[in-house]
Amino acid sequence: MNIDLLFKIAAIGILVAVLHQVLVRAGREDQAMMTTLAGLIIVLTLVIKEVSGLFSTVRTMFNL
Amino acid sequence: MDIVKIIGVGLIALIIIIILKQYRPEFTMYVSILAGVIILIMLVNPISGIINLINSIASRANINIQFIKILIKITGIAILTEFAVSICNDSGETAIASKIDVGGKIIIIGLSIPIIQTLMETILKVLP
Repeated sequence: MNIDLLFKIAAIGILVAVLHQVLVRAGREDQAMMTTLAGLIIVLTLVIKEVSGLFSTVRTMFNL
Repeated sequence: MDIVKIIGVGLIALIIIIILKQYRPEFTMYVSILAGVIILIMLVNPISGIINLINSIASRANINIQFIKILIKITGIAILTEFAVSICNDSGETAIASKIDVGGKIIIIGLSIPIIQTLMETILKVLP
């Protein structure tokens, strides 16, 4: 549980933004949208894994 | 020393959100959720220390352990509810935030029914 997760998300975000621009310039709007969605889903799985970890620790700690 | 780490994580997340806001606005919510998760997980050790302290004091002062367990459970629910409510408010969804808030309050009231019962019994015993 450290900071590089934040940097990973920032990197994916900027990469997706650049890819989106490049693909749009190259005239392939649908693929651009695909890469944006793929980036979003990757980051979503990352965040969901961390949030579920938080919920399980809080649940065991407060024996909810 | 821990507070410096918490502030550091918060500021780093803030900077990343500002950078990402112009390119991909959708990612800002992910970064804020993840910053909240990191900070809360950093707080797990102090919180478990406090809980053990409360348990030991309660058992030594032979207070009914059942009430202390319920109180700790309510604190956990409050922390999680506040986590979700602040994220929903942050992204502008105040309706969802208030629903989560109401749900949390109802669950807390539901949990505290045994305490209210014993309170009523003790009061009725005292009254003539």
